[in-house]
Amino acid sequence: MPNYKLIYFNVRGRAELSRLILSCANVPFEDYRIEHSDWPAIKQDMPFKQIPVLQVDGVNLLAQSNTIARYLARQHQLAGQNEWEQSQADMFIDCVYDLHAGMRPVAREKDPEKQQEIFDKVNEEMIQPHAKKIEEILIKNGSGFLVGNALTWADIAYYAYFTTPMMDHLGGQVLESHPHLKKLIQHVGDIPTIKKYIETRPVTSR
Amino acid sequence: MVHYKLIYFNLRGRGELARLILHHQEVAFEDFRFEREEWTKYKTGTPFGQVPVLEVDGKPLAQSNAIARYLARQHGLAGQNEWEQSQADMYVDCIYDLISGTRPIIHESDKEKQKEILQKFLKETVNPHLEKLEQQLIKNGTGFLVGKSITWADLAYYSFFSPMTERFGDSVMDNSPHLKKLVEHVANIPQIKKYVETRPKTTL
Repeated sequence: MPNYKLIYFNVRGRAELSRLILSCANVPFEDYRIEHSDWPAIKQDMPFKQIPVLQVDGVNLLAQSNTIARYLARQHQLAGQNEWEQSQADMFIDCVYDLHAGMRPVAREKDPEKQQEIFDKVNEEMIQPHAKKIEEILIKNGSGFLVGNALTWADIAYYAYFTTPMMDHLGGQVLESHPHLKKLIQHVGDIPTIKKYIETRPVTSR
Repeated sequence: MVHYKLIYFNLRGRGELARLILHHQEVAFEDFRFEREEWTKYKTGTPFGQVPVLEVDGKPLAQSNAIARYLARQHGLAGQNEWEQSQADMYVDCIYDLISGTRPIIHESDKEKQKEILQKFLKETVNPHLEKLEQQLIKNGTGFLVGKSITWADLAYYSFFSPMTERFGDSVMDNSPHLKKLVEHVANIPQIKKYVETRPKTTL
Protein backbone atom coordinates (compact mmCIF):
# COMPACT_ATOMS: atom_id res chain seq x y z
CA MET A 1 0.00 0.00 0.00
CA PRO A 2 1.53 3.36 -0.94
CA ASN A 3 2.11 5.93 1.73
CA TYR A 4 -0.16 8.94 1.21
CA LYS A 5 0.15 12.37 2.76
CA LEU A 6 -2.60 14.79 1.71
CA ILE A 7 -1.59 18.37 2.45
CA TYR A 8 -4.25 21.07 2.71
CA PHE A 9 -5.75 23.68 5.00
CA ASN A 10 -7.93 22.61 7.89
CA VAL A 11 -11.13 22.98 5.84
CA ARG A 12 -13.05 20.68 3.53
CA GLY A 13 -12.64 22.85 0.46
CA ARG A 14 -10.66 21.39 -2.42
CA ALA A 15 -9.29 18.40 -0.49
CA GLU A 16 -12.52 16.92 0.76
CA LEU A 17 -13.25 14.84 -2.33
CA SER A 18 -9.86 13.11 -1.98
CA ARG A 19 -10.41 12.55 1.74
CA LEU A 20 -13.82 11.02 1.00
CA ILE A 21 -12.40 8.77 -1.74
CA LEU A 22 -9.66 7.46 0.54
CA SER A 23 -12.07 7.02 3.43
CA CYS A 24 -14.65 5.30 1.23
CA ALA A 25 -12.03 2.85 -0.01
CA ASN A 26 -10.78 2.34 3.54
CA VAL A 27 -7.26 3.42 2.56
CA PRO A 28 -5.15 4.85 5.39
CA PHE A 29 -3.62 8.25 4.75
CA GLU A 30 -2.04 11.12 6.61
CA ASP A 31 -4.64 13.88 6.55
CA TYR A 32 -2.12 16.69 6.99
CA ARG A 33 -3.97 19.91 7.74
CA ILE A 34 -2.08 23.16 8.04
CA GLU A 35 -2.99 26.42 9.70
CA HIS A 36 -3.12 29.51 7.50
CA SER A 37 -0.22 30.96 9.48
CA ASP A 38 1.96 28.01 8.44
CA TRP A 39 1.15 28.44 4.77
CA PRO A 40 3.77 30.99 3.70
CA ALA A 41 6.57 28.71 4.91
CA ILE A 42 5.22 25.64 3.10
CA LYS A 43 4.11 27.42 -0.07
CA GLN A 44 7.50 27.50 -1.82
CA ASP A 45 7.89 23.73 -1.50
CA MET A 46 4.65 23.02 -3.28
CA PRO A 47 4.88 22.24 -7.03
CA PHE A 48 2.78 25.27 -8.03
CA LYS A 49 2.65 27.18 -4.74
CA GLN A 50 -0.83 25.81 -4.14
CA ILE A 51 -2.56 23.12 -2.13
CA PRO A 52 -3.94 20.51 -1.96
CA VAL A 53 -0.89 18.43 -2.77
CA LEU A 54 -0.65 14.66 -2.46
CA GLN A 55 2.69 13.26 -1.46
CA VAL A 56 3.12 9.61 -2.43
CA ASP A 57 5.73 7.44 -0.68
CA GLY A 58 7.40 10.48 0.79
CA VAL A 59 8.81 11.54 -2.52
CA ASN A 60 6.44 12.14 -5.40
CA LEU A 61 4.22 15.19 -5.39
CA LEU A 62 0.95 15.57 -7.22
CA ALA A 63 -0.88 18.90 -7.36
CA GLN A 64 -4.37 20.04 -8.49
CA SER A 65 -7.38 18.85 -6.50
CA ASN A 66 -9.18 16.95 -9.28
CA THR A 67 -5.97 15.34 -10.53
CA ILE A 68 -5.27 14.09 -7.01
CA ALA A 69 -8.81 12.81 -6.60
CA ARG A 70 -8.75 11.11 -10.02
CA TYR A 71 -5.41 9.42 -9.25
CA LEU A 72 -6.75 8.11 -5.94
CA ALA A 73 -10.06 7.04 -7.50
CA ARG A 74 -8.21 5.10 -10.21
CA GLN A 75 -5.81 3.50 -7.75
CA HIS A 76 -8.67 2.37 -5.51
CA GLN A 77 -11.33 1.17 -7.99
CA LEU A 78 -13.60 4.17 -7.73
CA ALA A 79 -13.05 5.63 -11.19
CA GLY A 80 -15.30 3.48 -13.38
CA GLN A 81 -15.21 -0.04 -14.85
CA ASN A 82 -13.79 0.81 -18.28
CA GLU A 83 -12.38 3.75 -20.19
CA TRP A 84 -15.74 5.07 -21.32
CA GLU A 85 -17.10 4.97 -17.76
CA GLN A 86 -13.94 6.69 -16.56
CA SER A 87 -14.54 9.53 -19.02
CA GLN A 88 -18.16 9.81 -17.99
CA ALA A 89 -17.01 10.11 -14.37
CA ASP A 90 -14.44 12.74 -15.43
CA MET A 91 -17.25 14.65 -17.13
CA PHE A 92 -19.37 14.69 -13.97
CA ILE A 93 -16.37 15.79 -11.90
CA ASP A 94 -15.86 18.74 -14.25
CA CYS A 95 -19.56 19.62 -13.86
CA VAL A 96 -19.18 19.64 -10.08
CA TYR A 97 -16.08 21.82 -10.44
CA ASP A 98 -18.21 24.37 -12.31
CA LEU A 99 -20.92 24.10 -9.63
CA HIS A 100 -18.37 24.91 -6.92
CA ALA A 101 -17.13 27.89 -8.96
CA GLY A 102 -20.72 29.11 -9.18
CA MET A 103 -20.96 29.17 -5.39
CA ARG A 104 -18.01 31.50 -4.95
CA PRO A 105 -19.98 34.75 -5.27
CA VAL A 106 -22.27 33.33 -2.56
CA ALA A 107 -19.32 32.55 -0.27
CA ARG A 108 -17.85 36.03 -0.79
CA GLU A 109 -21.02 37.82 0.40
CA LYS A 110 -20.91 38.36 4.15
CA ASP A 111 -24.31 39.99 4.69
CA PRO A 112 -26.69 37.08 5.50
CA GLU A 113 -29.71 38.49 3.65
CA LYS A 114 -27.74 39.42 0.55
CA GLN A 115 -26.04 36.03 0.68
CA GLN A 116 -29.37 34.20 0.63
CA GLU A 117 -30.48 36.38 -2.30
CA ILE A 118 -27.34 35.62 -4.28
CA PHE A 119 -27.67 31.93 -3.46
CA ASP A 120 -31.28 31.86 -4.59
CA LYS A 121 -30.25 33.36 -7.92
CA VAL A 122 -27.36 30.89 -8.35
CA ASN A 123 -29.73 28.08 -7.42
CA GLU A 124 -32.32 29.14 -9.96
CA GLU A 125 -29.88 29.83 -12.78
CA MET A 126 -27.31 27.12 -12.30
CA ILE A 127 -28.02 24.50 -9.65
CA GLN A 128 -31.63 23.64 -10.49
CA PRO A 129 -31.14 23.35 -14.27
CA HIS A 130 -28.10 21.17 -13.74
CA ALA A 131 -29.76 19.02 -11.05
CA LYS A 132 -32.68 18.47 -13.42
CA LYS A 133 -30.30 17.08 -16.06
CA ILE A 134 -28.60 14.90 -13.47
CA GLU A 135 -32.00 13.58 -12.37
CA GLU A 136 -32.78 12.59 -15.98
CA ILE A 137 -29.38 10.93 -16.32
CA LEU A 138 -29.88 8.97 -13.10
CA ILE A 139 -33.30 7.78 -14.21
CA LYS A 140 -31.94 6.79 -17.62
CA ASN A 141 -28.88 5.00 -16.17
CA GLY A 142 -31.19 3.07 -13.87
CA SER A 143 -28.61 1.78 -11.38
CA GLY A 144 -28.97 4.55 -8.83
CA PHE A 145 -25.45 5.70 -9.65
CA LEU A 146 -24.27 8.28 -12.14
CA VAL A 147 -21.93 5.97 -14.05
CA GLY A 148 -22.45 2.30 -14.76
CA ASN A 149 -23.67 -0.05 -12.06
CA ALA A 150 -21.54 0.97 -9.14
CA LEU A 151 -20.36 3.86 -7.00
CA THR A 152 -17.69 6.09 -8.54
CA TRP A 153 -15.94 9.23 -7.40
CA ALA A 154 -18.53 11.13 -9.48
CA ASP A 155 -21.25 10.13 -6.99
CA ILE A 156 -18.97 11.12 -4.11
CA ALA A 157 -18.28 14.50 -5.75
CA TYR A 158 -21.98 15.32 -5.93
CA TYR A 159 -22.35 14.18 -2.33
CA ALA A 160 -19.55 16.53 -1.24
CA TYR A 161 -21.06 19.44 -3.19
CA PHE A 162 -24.58 19.06 -1.81
CA THR A 163 -23.47 18.63 1.81
CA THR A 164 -21.21 21.63 2.35
CA PRO A 165 -21.97 23.76 5.44
CA MET A 166 -22.98 26.60 3.10
CA MET A 167 -25.38 24.39 1.15
CA ASP A 168 -26.90 23.05 4.38
CA HIS A 169 -27.35 26.61 5.61
CA LEU A 170 -28.71 28.27 2.47
CA GLY A 171 -30.01 25.48 0.25
CA GLY A 172 -31.88 23.03 2.43
CA GLN A 173 -34.54 22.40 -0.24
CA VAL A 174 -32.34 22.26 -3.35
CA LEU A 175 -32.90 18.57 -3.99
CA GLU A 176 -36.62 18.42 -3.29
CA SER A 177 -37.52 18.27 -7.00
CA HIS A 178 -34.83 15.67 -7.71
CA PRO A 179 -35.64 12.51 -5.73
CA HIS A 180 -33.11 10.24 -7.48
CA LEU A 181 -30.27 12.67 -6.86
CA LYS A 182 -31.45 13.17 -3.30
CA LYS A 183 -31.49 9.40 -2.79
CA LEU A 184 -27.98 9.08 -4.23
CA ILE A 185 -26.64 11.78 -1.90
CA GLN A 186 -28.24 10.03 1.08
CA HIS A 187 -26.87 6.68 -0.04
CA VAL A 188 -23.30 8.01 -0.26
CA GLY A 189 -23.59 9.56 3.18
CA ASP A 190 -24.77 6.21 4.59
CA ILE A 191 -21.86 4.16 3.25
CA PRO A 192 -20.27 2.88 6.50
CA THR A 193 -16.71 3.96 5.71
CA ILE A 194 -17.85 7.40 4.61
CA LYS A 195 -20.22 7.75 7.56
CA LYS A 196 -17.39 6.94 9.95
CA TYR A 197 -15.12 9.56 8.34
CA ILE A 198 -17.84 12.24 8.45
CA GLU A 199 -18.55 11.54 12.10
CA THR A 200 -14.90 11.89 13.06
CA ARG A 201 -13.53 14.58 10.72
CA PRO A 202 -12.64 18.01 12.12
CA VAL A 203 -15.65 20.33 12.18
CA THR A 204 -14.87 23.30 9.96
CA SER A 205 -16.86 26.22 8.62
CA ARG A 206 -16.30 25.20 5.00
CA MET B 1 -12.94 2.48 -36.73
CA VAL B 2 -14.77 4.58 -34.15
CA HIS B 3 -16.56 7.68 -35.44
CA TYR B 4 -15.80 10.93 -33.65
CA LYS B 5 -17.87 14.08 -33.98
CA LEU B 6 -16.52 17.05 -32.07
CA ILE B 7 -19.21 19.70 -31.68
CA TYR B 8 -18.16 23.26 -30.80
CA PHE B 9 -18.37 26.86 -31.88
CA ASN B 10 -16.29 27.93 -34.84
CA LEU B 11 -13.62 29.05 -32.37
CA ARG B 12 -10.48 27.56 -30.88
CA GLY B 13 -11.50 28.18 -27.27
CA ARG B 14 -12.33 25.08 -25.31
CA GLY B 15 -12.49 22.83 -28.36
CA GLU B 16 -8.99 23.35 -29.61
CA LEU B 17 -7.09 20.98 -27.34
CA ALA B 18 -9.21 18.03 -28.50
CA ARG B 19 -8.64 19.06 -32.13
CA LEU B 20 -4.87 19.32 -31.60
CA ILE B 21 -4.77 15.87 -29.98
CA LEU B 22 -6.64 14.30 -32.88
CA HIS B 23 -4.56 16.08 -35.53
CA HIS B 24 -1.31 15.24 -33.77
CA GLN B 25 -2.21 11.56 -33.73
CA GLU B 26 -3.65 11.79 -37.27
CA VAL B 27 -7.01 10.45 -36.17
CA ALA B 28 -9.89 11.24 -38.50
CA PHE B 29 -12.82 13.09 -36.96
CA GLU B 30 -15.77 15.27 -37.89
CA ASP B 31 -14.82 18.80 -36.79
CA PHE B 32 -18.37 20.12 -36.47
CA ARG B 33 -18.35 23.89 -36.01
CA PHE B 34 -21.23 26.34 -35.80
CA GLU B 35 -21.46 30.10 -35.49
CA ARG B 36 -22.60 31.81 -32.28
CA GLU B 37 -25.91 32.78 -33.85
CA GLU B 38 -26.76 29.09 -34.31
CA TRP B 39 -26.16 28.15 -30.69
CA THR B 40 -29.80 27.89 -29.61
CA LYS B 41 -30.29 25.34 -32.38
CA TYR B 42 -27.71 22.97 -30.84
CA LYS B 43 -27.88 23.77 -27.13
CA THR B 44 -30.77 21.52 -26.13
CA GLY B 45 -29.16 18.52 -27.78
CA THR B 46 -26.14 18.68 -25.48
CA PRO B 47 -25.87 16.78 -22.18
CA PHE B 48 -25.54 19.94 -20.04
CA GLY B 49 -26.44 22.83 -22.33
CA GLN B 50 -22.78 23.41 -23.17
CA VAL B 51 -20.17 22.64 -25.78
CA PRO B 52 -17.75 21.16 -26.64
CA VAL B 53 -19.34 17.75 -26.84
CA LEU B 54 -17.67 14.71 -28.33
CA GLU B 55 -19.90 12.08 -29.87
CA VAL B 56 -18.21 8.68 -29.92
CA ASP B 57 -20.24 6.47 -32.26
CA GLY B 58 -23.15 8.72 -31.32
CA LYS B 59 -22.60 8.52 -27.53
CA PRO B 60 -22.02 11.96 -26.00
CA LEU B 61 -19.17 13.05 -23.75
CA ALA B 62 -19.21 16.60 -22.40
CA GLN B 63 -16.66 18.88 -20.68
CA SER B 64 -13.59 20.00 -22.61
CA ASN B 65 -10.96 18.36 -20.39
CA ALA B 66 -12.88 15.09 -20.03
CA ILE B 67 -13.08 14.97 -23.84
CA ALA B 68 -9.41 15.82 -24.34
CA ARG B 69 -8.31 13.32 -21.68
CA TYR B 70 -10.41 10.55 -23.25
CA LEU B 71 -8.91 11.21 -26.67
CA ALA B 72 -5.39 11.48 -25.27
CA ARG B 73 -5.79 8.13 -23.49
CA GLN B 74 -7.37 6.40 -26.48
CA HIS B 75 -4.63 7.59 -28.81
CA GLY B 76 -1.41 7.30 -26.83
CA LEU B 77 -0.88 10.92 -25.77
CA ALA B 78 -1.71 10.64 -22.10
CA GLY B 79 1.57 9.42 -20.57
CA GLN B 80 3.38 6.08 -20.35
CA ASN B 81 2.08 4.92 -16.96
CA GLU B 82 -0.46 5.95 -14.32
CA TRP B 83 1.86 8.35 -12.56
CA GLU B 84 2.75 10.09 -15.83
CA GLN B 85 -0.95 10.23 -16.68
CA SER B 86 -1.59 12.04 -13.40
CA GLN B 87 1.29 14.41 -14.01
CA ALA B 88 -0.22 15.26 -17.40
CA ASP B 89 -3.65 15.74 -15.76
CA MET B 90 -2.04 18.11 -13.27
CA TYR B 91 -0.52 20.30 -15.97
CA VAL B 92 -3.76 20.40 -17.93
CA ASP B 93 -5.59 21.52 -14.76
CA CYS B 94 -3.03 24.33 -14.43
CA ILE B 95 -3.84 25.46 -17.96
CA TYR B 96 -7.56 25.29 -17.15
CA ASP B 97 -6.95 27.73 -14.27
CA LEU B 98 -4.99 30.04 -16.58
CA ILE B 99 -7.75 29.95 -19.21
CA SER B 100 -10.28 30.93 -16.52
CA GLY B 101 -8.01 33.82 -15.57
CA THR B 102 -8.14 35.21 -19.10
CA ARG B 103 -11.90 35.57 -19.16
CA PRO B 104 -12.09 38.96 -17.40
CA ILE B 105 -9.45 40.18 -19.86
CA ILE B 106 -11.26 38.96 -22.96
CA HIS B 107 -14.58 40.41 -21.76
CA GLU B 108 -13.16 43.87 -20.95
CA SER B 109 -14.00 46.21 -23.80
CA ASP B 110 -12.11 49.27 -22.51
CA LYS B 111 -8.60 48.92 -23.98
CA GLU B 112 -6.84 50.71 -21.12
CA LYS B 113 -8.61 48.64 -18.47
CA GLN B 114 -7.91 45.50 -20.48
CA LYS B 115 -4.19 46.29 -20.46
CA GLU B 116 -4.32 46.82 -16.68
CA ILE B 117 -6.12 43.54 -16.00
CA LEU B 118 -3.75 41.72 -18.32
CA GLN B 119 -0.67 43.11 -16.58
CA LYS B 120 -2.10 42.13 -13.22
CA PHE B 121 -2.89 38.65 -14.51
CA LEU B 122 0.61 38.21 -15.92
CA LYS B 123 2.28 39.50 -12.79
CA GLU B 124 0.16 37.76 -10.13
CA THR B 125 -0.87 34.55 -11.85
CA VAL B 126 1.07 33.69 -15.00
CA ASN B 127 4.59 34.61 -13.94
CA PRO B 128 4.53 32.78 -10.58
CA HIS B 129 3.20 29.73 -12.40
CA LEU B 130 5.87 29.95 -15.10
CA GLU B 131 8.58 30.25 -12.47
CA LYS B 132 7.59 26.86 -11.09
CA LEU B 133 6.96 25.44 -14.54
CA GLU B 134 10.48 26.26 -15.72
CA GLN B 135 11.84 24.41 -12.67
CA GLN B 136 9.69 21.38 -13.52
CA LEU B 137 10.82 21.40 -17.17
CA ILE B 138 14.47 21.67 -16.16
CA LYS B 139 14.02 18.92 -13.58
CA ASN B 140 12.32 16.58 -16.07
CA GLY B 141 15.18 17.24 -18.47
CA THR B 142 13.60 15.87 -21.66
CA GLY B 143 12.17 19.06 -23.05
CA PHE B 144 8.68 17.73 -22.42
CA LEU B 145 6.51 18.30 -19.38
CA VAL B 146 5.99 14.63 -18.58
CA GLY B 147 8.35 11.74 -19.16
CA LYS B 148 10.39 11.40 -22.31
CA SER B 149 7.87 12.18 -24.99
CA ILE B 150 5.05 14.50 -25.94
CA THR B 151 1.76 14.30 -24.09
CA TRP B 152 -1.48 16.25 -24.25
CA ALA B 153 -0.03 18.41 -21.45
CA ASP B 154 2.53 19.83 -23.90
CA LEU B 155 -0.25 20.44 -26.43
CA ALA B 156 -2.29 22.21 -23.72
CA TYR B 157 0.58 24.58 -22.93
CA TYR B 158 1.10 25.22 -26.65
CA SER B 159 -2.64 25.81 -27.06
CA PHE B 160 -2.65 28.43 -24.31
CA PHE B 161 0.70 30.16 -24.75
CA SER B 162 0.83 30.36 -28.52
CA PRO B 163 -2.29 32.61 -28.73
CA MET B 164 -1.11 34.50 -25.62
CA THR B 165 2.06 35.57 -27.40
CA GLU B 166 0.17 36.31 -30.61
CA ARG B 167 -2.21 38.53 -28.74
CA PHE B 168 0.01 40.07 -26.08
CA GLY B 169 3.55 39.79 -27.42
CA ASP B 170 6.65 37.66 -27.04
CA SER B 171 7.44 39.01 -23.57
CA VAL B 172 4.89 36.62 -22.02
CA MET B 173 7.54 33.86 -22.07
CA ASP B 174 10.59 36.09 -21.60
CA ASN B 175 11.66 34.38 -18.39
CA SER B 176 10.66 30.90 -19.50
CA PRO B 177 13.14 29.75 -22.14
CA HIS B 178 12.33 26.05 -21.67
CA LEU B 179 8.60 26.62 -22.10
CA LYS B 180 9.28 28.88 -25.08
CA LYS B 181 11.35 26.12 -26.67
CA LEU B 182 8.60 23.57 -25.98
CA VAL B 183 5.92 25.79 -27.49
CA GLU B 184 8.06 26.33 -30.57
CA HIS B 185 8.73 22.62 -30.83
CA VAL B 186 5.02 21.84 -30.79
CA ALA B 187 4.31 24.59 -33.33
CA ASN B 188 6.79 22.98 -35.71
CA ILE B 189 5.43 19.43 -35.51
CA PRO B 190 4.34 18.77 -39.12
CA GLN B 191 0.80 17.60 -38.29
CA ILE B 192 0.25 20.56 -35.98
CA LYS B 193 1.78 23.02 -38.44
CA LYS B 194 -0.41 21.72 -41.25
CA TYR B 195 -3.57 21.88 -39.14
CA VAL B 196 -2.81 25.40 -37.89
CA GLU B 197 -2.18 26.62 -41.44
CA THR B 198 -5.46 25.21 -42.72
CA ARG B 199 -7.85 25.67 -39.79
CA PRO B 200 -10.51 28.40 -39.91
CA LYS B 201 -9.13 31.76 -38.77
CA THR B 202 -11.00 32.82 -35.62
CA THR B 203 -10.50 35.57 -33.05
CA LEU B 204 -10.56 33.20 -30.07
